[in-house]
Amino acid sequence: MELPGYYEYYCGVKIIAGHDALERIPGILQDLHARRPMIVTDKGVAGAGLVDIVLGAVKDQLTIGAVADDVPPDSDLRVVNRLAALYREQDCDALIAVGGGSVMDTAKGINIVVSERADDLMKFSGAGALKRPLKPLVAVPTTAGTGSEVTLVAVVKDHERHLKMAFVSYFLLPNASILDSRMTLSLPAAITAATGMDALTHAVEAYYGLSKNPLSDATALAAIRLISGNLVKVTRNPSDREARLAMANAAALAGMAFSNSMVGMVHTLGHATGSVCGVPHGVCMAILLPYGLEYNRHKREAVMGELLFPMGGSDVFAGTTKEQRTDRVIAYVRQMNQDLHDASGGRHARFFKEVLDREGKPAVPRERLLDIARTALGDGSIFYNPEDLDYDDFLMVLEAAWEGVALDPGCIRT
Amino acid sequence: MNEYKEIQSGSKPFKRAYVALMLWFVGRAIEAAARVDAAVKAEFDGLSPGFTFSLGVMPQGPTMIVGKDDQGLVRYRGWDPEGQKIDLKMKVKNLEGAILMFTFQESTAMASARNRLIVDGEVPAACAIVRVLDIVEVYLLPKLIAKLAVKRYPDWSFGEKIRNRIRIYGGAIFGL
Repeated sequence: MELPGYYEYYCGVKIIAGHDALERIPGILQDLHARRPMIVTDKGVAGAGLVDIVLGAVKDQLTIGAVADDVPPDSDLRVVNRLAALYREQDCDALIAVGGGSVMDTAKGINIVVSERADDLMKFSGAGALKRPLKPLVAVPTTAGTGSEVTLVAVVKDHERHLKMAFVSYFLLPNASILDSRMTLSLPAAITAATGMDALTHAVEAYYGLSKNPLSDATALAAIRLISGNLVKVTRNPSDREARLAMANAAALAGMAFSNSMVGMVHTLGHATGSVCGVPHGVCMAILLPYGLEYNRHKREAVMGELLFPMGGSDVFAGTTKEQRTDRVIAYVRQMNQDLHDASGGRHARFFKEVLDREGKPAVPRERLLDIARTALGDGSIFYNPEDLDYDDFLMVLEAAWEGVALDPGCIRT
Repeated sequence: MNEYKEIQSGSKPFKRAYVALMLWFVGRAIEAAARVDAAVKAEFDGLSPGFTFSLGVMPQGPTMIVGKDDQGLVRYRGWDPEGQKIDLKMKVKNLEGAILMFTFQESTAMASARNRLIVDGEVPAACAIVRVLDIVEVYLLPKLIAKLAVKRYPDWSFGEKIRNRIRIYGGAIFGL
């Protein structure tokens, strides 16, 4: 096992996982001396009846101060300030975030404003600006992928000033995260597939990245094993509660891995593609993951080969020579995308040219690849990628991912 | 009541002096490289007017400051951040981490990966500056050592590399 000369690891989030985990929320808040939480969510989550499930699980033991269900798909500074005012008006003393990444980010932003009595959230942006614990925050994820229920980051956008503010602090970690199978049961097949591949990418990039360490390795391997056994299964059968719970656990484990070991070029290119073409993050991850493995394999061959064990199981691992293991890992990820494509009735995209926008038009026109490659040069996740990439390298990978062909090893500069 | 003397941490004067010397040299080399190397110039051209960054050691330095002047030329601005508007601060958490970096036992990327480096500022600018540092290290160091400091050694032509190396060393040492 590769042991770094120095590393740091932290995950201070209490995890409560189960088919009836929501029922623990009142007890958790009581332990934290909170009695009147505000629920933060979005219209989609509320419309799917998920907030009602949460309310049903807690209402006998807890007074809910307010339910704010108008968080936009992109976190927004004005919304954070408005909801912080609502929190104060309703005399709330804790937050329950029910939703995906934007809801979690918004709840964390509200928490900074109400805990620090901040009039300008900007004062607390960057790393290390928060100096003391915030109000209690309980995260209830409604997708199994982002891992934001265990991460210490929040991103809030100031759409008026065109600013994206990132906040990084251990105090932003939720006090507890509730992984309850009821929260993802109604997730459509294509979103289940894409968010699941997001979690797989977190685990795989954390495992072969420069910042890997034994603790993040442990959580990454456990996540990969759960995803390999359950993602295709749950995409085929969305009402499989056991598989839903397994995926919720996998996403949290992968979140623990990548929030301590960071991610690499798959995220670099994924962030850029999302920013330029508006493609959902999980879709980008699914398409780009095989290319991250192919591009970096000359630097991380042995480490990547180890991934065959959680992906294929002990028999496949033992029956494959060391030299062939990375090939099998890459083939396994591509096959997983194909299986998810089939299981979702063709809605899970395998390469960029088949990604469609809401109007059914190609979401990633080939000519935009140049802009994506340029944007990728400014993404910090590239620091943690084993091999270097410049503009030409980004473009080469994007061309292959657009077409859906494997990278030509002869074109990878070493 | 007992009296307790406050214990100061060791100042490690030789290590501190070595890091200070390296920072001074790298700072001046960046100024020279921005004149000589097209890629370094392009990276700085892509940054905002007056952009200034510092690279230093926590908690008390040493530090080097490099920034663009009114004409857009890249200048080494010394070691004292007092009175300077710094857009991007890159800080190594302690002197031992800086020694690992500046004796090239650990690349900038590995320093980031091992949580030794704190970046305070815009991430795209930090990415550009890390690319500049990589290029400058390739010019300043023999290939054997530079290969440890950067992820991928560039495939520049030998003649171009030597020509630029001489000019950058001349700029860094003699201010040419």
